[in-house]
Amino acid sequence: MRTPQIAKLFAVLLLTSGFATGCSSQPGKPSASPEAVSAISAAKAANKKAKAVGYEWRDTGKTLKKAEALANKGDSAGAIKLAKKAESEAMLAVKQYELEKSMDRSLK
Amino acid sequence: MKKILLIATAFSIAAGAPLLAMASPSGDLQAFRSYFQKRFPNVKMADFKDGIYSIDTARRDAWLEFEDFAPAYEDGVALGKELFNKPFKNGKTYASCFENNGIGIRQNYPRFDAKSGKIVTLEGAINKCRIDNGEEKLGWKKGKIAAISAYMSFTSRGNKVDIKVPNDPRALAIYERGKRHFYAKRGQLNFSCADCHVYQSGNMARGNLLSPAIGHITHFPVWRKKWAKKSEAKGKRGPTRGFGTIQRRYGGCNKQVRAKPFKAQKDEYNALEYFHTYMSNGLEVNGPALRQ
Repeated sequence: MRTPQIAKLFAVLLLTSGFATGCSSQPGKPSASPEAVSAISAAKAANKKAKAVGYEWRDTGKTLKKAEALANKGDSAGAIKLAKKAESEAMLAVKQYELEKSMDRSLK
Repeated sequence: MKKILLIATAFSIAAGAPLLAMASPSGDLQAFRSYFQKRFPNVKMADFKDGIYSIDTARRDAWLEFEDFAPAYEDGVALGKELFNKPFKNGKTYASCFENNGIGIRQNYPRFDAKSGKIVTLEGAINKCRIDNGEEKLGWKKGKIAAISAYMSFTSRGNKVDIKVPNDPRALAIYERGKRHFYAKRGQLNFSCADCHVYQSGNMARGNLLSPAIGHITHFPVWRKKWAKKSEAKGKRGPTRGFGTIQRRYGGCNKQVRAKPFKAQKDEYNALEYFHTYMSNGLEVNGPALRQ
């Protein structure tokens, strides 16, 4: 029983160190501001909700990818702008779902 | 007294629910047909199978010329026939998987399978047949599967669409899901299928005449000029280049209203196809057909 627990612990440590290495700024490579990372993360979470209810909009995911690309280039302001746009779209998509769920628009 | 009321309520729900459920699809169909008859009073019900060509004379004349002269889908149907009859590695053919050897059966699809509680589309049955016979499945929306499906539609021409929604809560739930998808607005443009193809049918959206939803599915798979052009631009000039299944079209429609499309042959579009096809019950199958 102890062996799998040790293996799990080792895997967690390995992943954590991987994340830490990947997320820390590398010399010569621009890094995104914490605000940009947070905005992208919020937009992703919102879009996940829209997807879960089957109402994701066509371009939201693309906008998010563009935001991430800008963040990777160090353009935090551009990344935040696009992430906010994506988040707003995703929130509207969920509202759309809620409204449509409560309505019957069928022919009578 | 409370007990009596409780029993009476339970009894009325138990007795009433199936009746309501049974009445719903047929009532919907009646309302659907009645709406389109009123919207297009000069179109005979049977002619709605021709899509926009049932409501626009000039377009109809041009379309009939194409159909009479050399319809672009002909080679695709021939390929579909060849594939349909080509034995699998085990020696069997598609005919072994279908009733009536797969000839003249399009009008019964999609159908509710009571055993699995799921919808079986014709394309789904084609791929299931392949898997059951040890073959790889085909891509869902175009290419060979559309050619085989087109051939099967071709052999069903003239048969009337006959979709059954049994009084089974699972079938009714799928039907309702499809109906909800059809009428609910979605995407950034906030449009439903019904917005374009029911309430605005016959009107123009840019250069396109919006087709009536009734009769939509009778002519699928279709050969679309748009799809053929797209394939040709990629250097593909084969006999299936313009073909697409109804679920390919669903994906395109969802994209046009800027909604993320669902995956073909999964529950959402299968439910939509079930409802959508039921709404054309009684119309003749005339697929495949040319479309813009």
